[in-house]
Amino acid sequence: MPLLELQHSLISALFQRDQLAEAAKRVKAQGSLSSEQRVGIYRNSAHGILLDCLESLYPVCFELVGTEFFGRTAHNFIDQAPPTSPFLADYGAGFVNHLAEHPALQEMLWIVEVAKLEWARHAAWHTVNQVASDFAQLEGLSEAQQAELRFQLPASAHLISSNTSIHSIWLAHQEEYPEKPQFEKIDLQEAQQVLLFREQRRLHQTTLSTDDWAFLQAIQQQLSMGELAEQFADQLPWLFSVAMQEGWIYSFTTTPPA
Amino acid sequence: MTPNPILGCGIGLRFQHIDQILADKPPIPWLEILSDNYLTPGSVQQDYAIEIAQHYPVTLHGVGMSLGATEPFNDEYFQRLKALADQLHPAWISDHLCWTSAHGWVSHDLLPLPYTEETIKHVVQRIREAQDRLERRLVIENVSSYLQYQESALTEWEFITAVAEEADCKLLLDVNNIYVSAFNHDFDPCRYLDSIPIERVQQFHLAGYEDKGTHLLDTHGHPVSDSVWGLYKLALQRFGALPTLIEWDNNIPSLEELLAEAHKATEAHIHAFA
Ligand SMILES: [Fe+2]
Repeated sequence: MPLLELQHSLISALFQRDQLAEAAKRVKAQGSLSSEQRVGIYRNSAHGILLDCLESLYPVCFELVGTEFFGRTAHNFIDQAPPTSPFLADYGAGFVNHLAEHPALQEMLWIVEVAKLEWARHAAWHTVNQVASDFAQLEGLSEAQQAELRFQLPASAHLISSNTSIHSIWLAHQEEYPEKPQFEKIDLQEAQQVLLFREQRRLHQTTLSTDDWAFLQAIQQQLSMGELAEQFADQLPWLFSVAMQEGWIYSFTTTPPA
Repeated sequence: MTPNPILGCGIGLRFQHIDQILADKPPIPWLEILSDNYLTPGSVQQDYAIEIAQHYPVTLHGVGMSLGATEPFNDEYFQRLKALADQLHPAWISDHLCWTSAHGWVSHDLLPLPYTEETIKHVVQRIREAQDRLERRLVIENVSSYLQYQESALTEWEFITAVAEEADCKLLLDVNNIYVSAFNHDFDPCRYLDSIPIERVQQFHLAGYEDKGTHLLDTHGHPVSDSVWGLYKLALQRFGALPTLIEWDNNIPSLEELLAEAHKATEAHIHAFA
C-alpha cells in the first residue's frame, strides 16, 4: 500500500538522519526550501516535542549538565529509542540508562543517580489513586488473621538508596524552597536513602534514617507482623508509629502474598 | 448527563493554570482539555480534569488517534479516551486530520497526509471506525503543514471537505493553521475558507505562529498575529460566531493574559457582524 510505504519512509527520517534524503524523494521542493529541508522541519519538530518532554522529566539533570550537553544527549537518545506508545507519559524511562552509558558521565555518575530520582518522581506522580485501608478494622482481627497481617506502602512509593546525596542535590535546584541547601556545599559522596510517594495531589520526598529505611524495606518485601516483630524487636512500636504518622503505611492485608 | 453548551471564546486548559482556575473559578465560557495528558485512569491528572469539568463546559482535544495511519488503531488508547469522555461528558471530542504513528513508532507530532482519492477512502473508513469506538461524531481539525507530497493530487480544502462529507464528521477549523499552510504552500487562505461547507464547521482554533523567514512555524507560543485575526473575521462572516478557542502551548502566559486573548476573539465576534 503506497500510504504505508510513504509513512514508513517519513517516520524513519524523523528518527534516523540518514533516511532524510530517501523520504525527501516523496516530497515537493517549493520556494526557497528543498524537499529535504522540508522533511527536516518535521524531524526538528518531532525531536523538539520529545526534547521538551525529557527536559520536563529531568529538570535538575538539565540544569546540572547544561542546555547543550542535555540537548545533544537527548537527541541521540530520541534517535536510538523513538517512542512506541501513544501515551507520552510512558516516554523517557530509558534516558536514565542512556545517561549511565555516556562516556562523559562515567566520572559523574551522581548525575545519573539524580536522573533515577527524577524518573521515580514522574512515575509516582502518574501512579493511579488507591483507597486507603480502614485501620480501625485492625482491632477486630482474629488470631489467624493477625498472623497473616501485612502492611503496604502507598502504591506510588519508591524507596531509593543512593551512594550520593540525591535528595540534597534535588532540593538545591528547587526555586520554591527558601531553605534549600547550597549546591556548592553539598557533600556529593554522602549516601542518602529517599522515600517518594504521592498523597492526593502532593508528592512527598524525604530522606530516611537507616532504621526507617530498613523497616519500610521490610514492609515492601511483605514481611508479616510476626516476621517484623522478630526483625525489629522492641524498636517495632516506634518504627510503626512514625510510619503511620507520616503516611508511609497506606493499607494492610490479611491474606498471604501470592 | 447532557453536557453544558459550548458558547463563545474559551481557552485550552494548561497545567500551569489549573490550581488558579479551581481556586478562583474565573468566568471562562469553556475549556478545551488536552485528552492525551489525562489518559491514565484514576490518576491525579484525571482528578483535576474531573474537577474542572464539574465547574466549566469542556471539550476533549487530542493528538494521538492517528486517524490517517495505516497500522491498526491502538485499542488501549481508544478505551482510555472513551473512559475519560464517560467521566467528563465533553460536548465533543476532536483530533487531527493527520497521522502520528507508523512502523511501530509514534511521532507525537502531527504529520500531513498525501491528498489523494485513495487517502480519502482510507481516512474516511478510519474516522468512521473511530466514531464507532467512541460512540459519537468526531470533530476533525486541519493541521498546519511544511511539506507537500509528490503524489498529492488534490488541494487541502478539497481533501478535507471530501473526508468530512463522506465520514459525516464535523470540522474544527484552525484559522492559524490555514494561514500557516497557505504561506508555506503559497495558496490563498480565503479560497480555503470559501470552499469548506458551512454546516460542517463546529469550532475554530486560534493560535500564534513563529516566522522562520523561509516558512511559518505553528509553535503556539505567541499571541495570535494580526493577519490571522483578519482571516478569523472572514471565517466568522462565512461560518457564523462559532465557538472559538485560543491555543497556547509554549512560553505559556499568565491566565489573565490568556483570557485577554480569548476576550479579543469575543470582540471579533461582536465586530464581525457590526
Ligand atoms: Fe489547533
